[in-house]
Amino acid sequence: MTAPTRPDQASPPAVNPRHRPSGAGIRRRRRVHRRDLLGALLSVPALALFAVFAIYPGLRVFYLSLFDYSLTAPPEFVGLDNFRFLATDPRFRETVLNSIFYTVGTYLPALVLALLLAIVLRRMTAGLGWVRLLYFLPVATSWVAIAVVWRLVLHPDGLLNQTLGLDVTWLSSSSSARWALVIMGVWKETGFFLILFLAGLARLPAEVHEAALVDGANAWQRFWRVTFPLLKPITAICTIIAVIRGFQSFSPQVVLTDGAFGTEVVNQFVYKTAFESARMGRASAVAVLMFALLIAVTMVQLRVFRREDS
Amino acid sequence: MAIAATLAVVAAGSAACGGGSDDAAGGNVTITFWTHTHPPMIDLNKKLIAEYESKNPNVKIEYQTIPNTEFNTKMLTSLSTGAGPDIINMDDNALRGEYLPKRLLAEIDPKAFGKSSVGEVEADYVPGTLDGAKDAEGKLFGVPSEFNGTAFAINTAHFKDAGLDPAQPPKTWQQVVDYGKKLNAAGHKQAFNFLYLHSGWYSQNFQTLANQTGGSIVSADGKTANLESEGTKEALRLWVELARTSGISDPKSSSRDATAPFQDLASGTQSMAIVYPWSMDQIKESNPDTYKNLAVVPLPQPTATSTPVNRVYGYFWAVNNASKQKAEAWKFISYLASQKERWLTDVSFVQPVKGWETSAPAKAMPFIDVIAQSYGTGKYDQVGPHWAEVQDTIRDAVDAAVFDGKPVDEALREANEAVQRSIG
Repeated sequence: MTAPTRPDQASPPAVNPRHRPSGAGIRRRRRVHRRDLLGALLSVPALALFAVFAIYPGLRVFYLSLFDYSLTAPPEFVGLDNFRFLATDPRFRETVLNSIFYTVGTYLPALVLALLLAIVLRRMTAGLGWVRLLYFLPVATSWVAIAVVWRLVLHPDGLLNQTLGLDVTWLSSSSSARWALVIMGVWKETGFFLILFLAGLARLPAEVHEAALVDGANAWQRFWRVTFPLLKPITAICTIIAVIRGFQSFSPQVVLTDGAFGTEVVNQFVYKTAFESARMGRASAVAVLMFALLIAVTMVQLRVFRREDS
Repeated sequence: MAIAATLAVVAAGSAACGGGSDDAAGGNVTITFWTHTHPPMIDLNKKLIAEYESKNPNVKIEYQTIPNTEFNTKMLTSLSTGAGPDIINMDDNALRGEYLPKRLLAEIDPKAFGKSSVGEVEADYVPGTLDGAKDAEGKLFGVPSEFNGTAFAINTAHFKDAGLDPAQPPKTWQQVVDYGKKLNAAGHKQAFNFLYLHSGWYSQNFQTLANQTGGSIVSADGKTANLESEGTKEALRLWVELARTSGISDPKSSSRDATAPFQDLASGTQSMAIVYPWSMDQIKESNPDTYKNLAVVPLPQPTATSTPVNRVYGYFWAVNNASKQKAEAWKFISYLASQKERWLTDVSFVQPVKGWETSAPAKAMPFIDVIAQSYGTGKYDQVGPHWAEVQDTIRDAVDAAVFDGKPVDEALREANEAVQRSIG
């Protein structure tokens, strides 16, 4: 058994003469070091702005969620009262459910539609750029502008009813208003995911498909066994973005229904609670809960996709 | 977005006060003045500012207009961070509900009006009309820039089409239904509609009916929700009867564009509507042909023997409590308020000083007798802290009963619980 070596008795690490830095190497290393230092210094203003306008206010929201703060009087510490109130508040519960309905109702069909369209469109040899532009136009247009146009489309005498021969009062009924928002959402958001899926498909190796074809796989098998698994990373990103975009929804509800007829979503609730009712503490508590919910959902999504990958 | 929305105010939390320098005794003074957007009002404000500045070369008025839909939010957040204007022009709902309880406004300065006491200022106005700018202790915080009472407009051409005599307008809501059926038969399918624009409009229409039926939203002390009282239930039943059960119009086809609230009446689609003095002025501008056919008559009541009850509301000029030039701000308000006849002539805004209806411009105004009568029988809305939540609740109850067919009792029971949570 060997006695333990005291640190002061430890022999110096052996240096391989071949790896001993030369004068040129030292100069290069110093150059790199200086460059890194300069880079760090240049990033300080951006980091400072980020800290002041993102990190500090974000932390402040967490802090305020523990206070009763009406904007015009100093915040009063109330512990977890805001969270207790929200736990039993039917309006908050309803807005969360409305957000979930909107997110699932809009983004699930949008993702499926985008994937199908991407598979069809990738075979196009001419005019793909124009088709992509066409689908991307709604994405590039602001939600408010889109919602104003859709108010006309969804009018009882509007384009949608006339085209489909329907007699639905889309925006003034609890049974149809939420679907009106979903229809408009699918129309606007599909293009965004289409672009992502097209980019993902373009990167797939052609040899794998050719091999599957040689093995006698039919179109469905090639999609399900080859294309879809290879698209997992893009699908994962699209799904995460979809959930976040869905829960961030605000403008379409404000412009189309102002939250009436069971369409009030969480962000609208936060806005009204904070700015119309001047309950900043409670609004901050909702923001904290939604932050936690979105982090949790994203973690679950990532875990699911990783497990499927492995 | 949830966090971002909240961050906006937090980030603004340390903004500096916009009050400027202390009252300058003879020195240069800059006064900031914010109003909502109403084009004729903006034009007159600009003229009066130019006149005041030329008479007072040391005073500069910085005038800013804010879209109606953003006005309350922007004003409240600005005042809360000490960055608000010196002078605000705000409706009585916001004043009594948010601004006065939070002590955001300064008490009126009678000296600026050439008076020795607030009582002397009050003595100039029709009794009760200044209540919209008083706090719970009866202190006065503003003077009215406009004062409105509900009236009823009928399209006389539609009446003639239906064989109805425009000189015999409906006096009760039941007559509105009866006349509506005749108007329908004559091809006018939108006989009468309420305005379904946003929570504020729902709330004011509901309070108009509740004033008449003896209902209320909260108890007199503001601590208990009162939506399940018989009078309040009667108000919603009346609404449902007029809008849904009677079938005299389809509420789903009502225009919901808040930027043009009386579009259906103005376009000649609707035959009867609840209106205010300013709405007639808007229709005159936008649809002069329809305007020629409109008559303004007293608001129908629940029964022919009911004591007439209307709804009144006002906008008031008031001074930010954080302003460092309150005296100068009140002097400018005094100048604005002194131009009563021009407010009537140019904008159709009534300032309810005693005898206003006998002035030459008032006599030249159409329907002035009806409007003057409505002031005498008007009630201000109930209001309280966090009233926006209460208004949203009323909207949801009306939507549920009118559009979804939910029983009135059930809709109001749910609403009562929600209101109690808001005020509790």
